[in-house]
Amino acid sequence: MGKVFKYTLIDLARNRFVLGYALLMLALSQGLFLLEDDPMKAMLSLVQVVLALVPLIALIFTVVYLYDIQEFTQLLAVQPIARRSILGGQLLALATALLVAQGFGLGLPLLVHAPGPSALMLSLSGSALVLVFAALGALIALRQREKARGVGMALVLWLGFVLVYDAVLMWLMFTTSDYPVEPFVVPLAALNPIDLARILVMLEIDLAAMMGYSGAVYKSFFGSAAGMTMAGAILVLWVLLPTWGAFRVFRRKDL
Amino acid sequence: MAEARITCEGLGKRYGALWALRSADLTFHKGEVVMLIGPNASGKTTLIKCLLGLVHPTEGRITVEDTVIDARARAPQPDYRNSIGYMPQISQFPPSLTIAQLFAMMADVRGLAPDQLDDRLIAELGLDRQLDKRLSTLSGGTRQKVSAVLAFRTHPTILVMDEPTAGLDPVSAARVLKEAGALRDHGGTVLITSHLMEEVEALADRVAYLEDGALRFLLPVNVILERTGATRLAQGLPRLLEQMNEHQRTH
Repeated sequence: MGKVFKYTLIDLARNRFVLGYALLMLALSQGLFLLEDDPMKAMLSLVQVVLALVPLIALIFTVVYLYDIQEFTQLLAVQPIARRSILGGQLLALATALLVAQGFGLGLPLLVHAPGPSALMLSLSGSALVLVFAALGALIALRQREKARGVGMALVLWLGFVLVYDAVLMWLMFTTSDYPVEPFVVPLAALNPIDLARILVMLEIDLAAMMGYSGAVYKSFFGSAAGMTMAGAILVLWVLLPTWGAFRVFRRKDL
Repeated sequence: MAEARITCEGLGKRYGALWALRSADLTFHKGEVVMLIGPNASGKTTLIKCLLGLVHPTEGRITVEDTVIDARARAPQPDYRNSIGYMPQISQFPPSLTIAQLFAMMADVRGLAPDQLDDRLIAELGLDRQLDKRLSTLSGGTRQKVSAVLAFRTHPTILVMDEPTAGLDPVSAARVLKEAGALRDHGGTVLITSHLMEEVEALADRVAYLEDGALRFLLPVNVILERTGATRLAQGLPRLLEQMNEHQRTH
């Protein structure tokens, strides 16, 4: 696995998309911090950018990259190495490249302009989103043979997490507003990794108070050490389950 | 008769409702070149991919040396692929790596030191002056040369070449085929698919013809020529197929 990881990472280190991602994040982060006098306000804007952009880029890049190296993956699969080593090396390299790019583009400006626990939480949540959506991207690329359909599925998934899931939850809360179901409905947001990341950052910045009753529910649910541990565990599950699925598909896949 | 190196017994592969390969029984020996031919979608690539472990057979089994790939059992350990060299029809590599890095990677993956590799082809195909070039900048023909080097440099005893001369200039194509011949002369087993019969027939010892996923025949080249009275495979094969169809109609 280490050998595939090493050379895939060398390839990715010169990949224009990865470099572009790093520079885009740097431009956005730096730009927001320079435009806003209050670093906390800049960070709030940055949260929205990270929550929307990071999943999209991690998902689409993983899908496209895995399709583009399909023939080479075939050549690797003819070598005397196990398939799990091939996929493991490729996924690890993809995640590392995206995380390093994000560390440069997002982590560095955060460290310079707003060092502290909130910045750390935003960096960690962004990193978790990279891992979650890279894993989901791998699962899509391996399950779907056609590139165009794979990219389409990735976009639909992203839209689902960014827009549709929240819209459904809000509709659910609206239609059941006569009943005290909020404590049951609001935690459902945690099943969406983007919402979960948002909640964790909001709680760290202490913006939950501005979110009214929902914020109070979040705080009571995730505000404690146990709640944070659970949130972390859910995010880890969001990484592990699609990764496990991708390995399972790849082991049986006809290349 | 030479010793068997690869044996396929009742080998079949189904994609959904479509059988891409059905009940194929065939043996490839040590020290021979077998040309796999047939129309498009006849099952050639599926057969090759089953042998290489890229495609999981639906039925039957393949024995490569001492390793058995059984449709009903778990895939074997990948070590048996140490003896296999593969030159695919489409050569695509990680775009940002250089040729030298790709060569290093593939040697690393097999755990081979530089002195264990046969790098003669690198210079003979003119790649020695391009080792620092990125793979994304190479022409299709140069990528095929890279692919040929990768297939030969690990001293394989089984060489699988899918349309090896496609995209290669005539001199390089002849050099690659000559190397395949040399491998055969040293006891290797070479399987070649090609639509360009003229290029490969001088090299081939036997011809396997597949159609609609079924093996129609696997015969020595001289037998095909004798039976049909032809001097070239390009003439002999259609005649043989005609004879076989006629025989089927009358029996």
